[in-house]
Amino acid sequence: MQLNNKKRRAGQVRESIASLSAALLAATITPLASSAAAQDYSNSDNYNRDTFGPGIAYSELDSALLVYKEGDGRVKAIEPSTDLSVHGPAGQEISLGLVFDSVSGATPNGAVPSDLPQTFVTPIKAQGSTATVTSASGGSTIIHLPPSPGDLAAAALGRQYIVPANALPMDRGFHDHRWAINFGWSQPMGGIYDVGLGGGYSIEQDYRAISVNTRLAQNFNSSNTTLSLALNAELDSSFPYGGVPAPLTEMNPQWKSPTSRGKTQMGFVLGLTEVVARHWLMQLNYSFDWQSGYQNDPYRILSVVDPASGEPLSYLYENRPRERKTQSVFWENKFDFGPTVTDLSLRYFRDDWGITSKTAEIAERINLSHSIYVEPSARWYQQSAANFFDYYLVQGQPLPTYATSDTRLGKFTSLTYGVKVGFKPTGRTEFYIRGNYYRQTGDGHPSNAIGQLQQQNLFAGSKAAYVLIGYTWDFH
Amino acid sequence: MARHEMQPDPYPLQTAADEHIYFSREASSGGRGFAGGGCGCN
Repeated sequence: MQLNNKKRRAGQVRESIASLSAALLAATITPLASSAAAQDYSNSDNYNRDTFGPGIAYSELDSALLVYKEGDGRVKAIEPSTDLSVHGPAGQEISLGLVFDSVSGATPNGAVPSDLPQTFVTPIKAQGSTATVTSASGGSTIIHLPPSPGDLAAAALGRQYIVPANALPMDRGFHDHRWAINFGWSQPMGGIYDVGLGGGYSIEQDYRAISVNTRLAQNFNSSNTTLSLALNAELDSSFPYGGVPAPLTEMNPQWKSPTSRGKTQMGFVLGLTEVVARHWLMQLNYSFDWQSGYQNDPYRILSVVDPASGEPLSYLYENRPRERKTQSVFWENKFDFGPTVTDLSLRYFRDDWGITSKTAEIAERINLSHSIYVEPSARWYQQSAANFFDYYLVQGQPLPTYATSDTRLGKFTSLTYGVKVGFKPTGRTEFYIRGNYYRQTGDGHPSNAIGQLQQQNLFAGSKAAYVLIGYTWDFH
Repeated sequence: MARHEMQPDPYPLQTAADEHIYFSREASSGGRGFAGGGCGCN
């Protein structure tokens, strides 16, 4: 994410996305019209939803708007997204998705609080100025002038921000935009139930991700069992504002070199989907993922504190291992009890950074009528800390090879509560709105805290409320 | 079993929004699908 304001660029991005999405949707819908004419019938289930059974061509348009807000003036985000899927009569499917993110607010910089005010400094670009030159004929030209020596001198001092005593150090200059496009194609092929290809491209002001994936799925046991294998490869580039800081060097306002670093990611998901009984669907996945390259948060620092007083003496950029391997087992069960559907999932995750996590999630959909439902949900999550996580470093002690104070790599528990209400005015359309509250809790007062740190809350976990409004439309 | 809500992922945009939030706030990702979030989320 870039730490300067680029509202003009954001407007251009929004306009580009609007034009692009209109063109792409038009291009994708055109072939649908001809295929739909050949197969124009459908059925409705008992809950007033078109089933579009096998052999029917149809399309789905999903749109959603996410509004996300953290407490204490931290991150705010608005994320509209849309997805168009076109289904052919022989099981073919092509899909196109677009996402746009606008994120701003304050984010913890990784330093510990202090009982004294703290000053932090980050790079800033020297800005030039403009001048208007008017010719004899009355025409005028705007000339962009390079930064003056005064501009350069001011920029060399960097951007400073001061955090009051006993406050969690946060950088309030956080502002970013992201847009992403993804596509997918799949169909039965050569006796295989489903063969798919997909890809994605995501760009923000300081990060880019390009991914490709492929998927094979085969049915067995009278189509009650499906085995699937999906492979994914991703190439990421990080080009932080101010350049890539050298790991574990002191925070400073200088522009740094190199300006970008890359990361490669490869993984697979092996899945089993089973119709266990008439009203019970089960999914079991094993996932493996390997990442190699730049994994640091380039804006994240750690405090180096006095061994007696606990007062911060300096701030170092963090450093994480270049490699990471993760594994997870995900188990989901859906039970159809007539007017209600229960969705229960469990996940166990571990990686070679020393993190293990457990997740349990439940949602209960209650159909109040043919057209209205409510769905309360809850999620519990708990993770252990990475073996190089610490809230701070101590002056005089040997510098570790890897160190981060990023709470997201620390030990904590999170809870999410939510409720969703859906309304289906017709069998082919649905509106829904879902509200969630998310809260992390962790140990902000470790027993080995030094000096003034014993009085501070060192856990910088977040709490957030978010709302998702969605609309789905199935059509021929 | 043909009911929409009994499909493995009946609301993919909702799932994507959830996974994006959790990816940007927690150390774990993936399970239902691939790990990672395709972003430099801070």
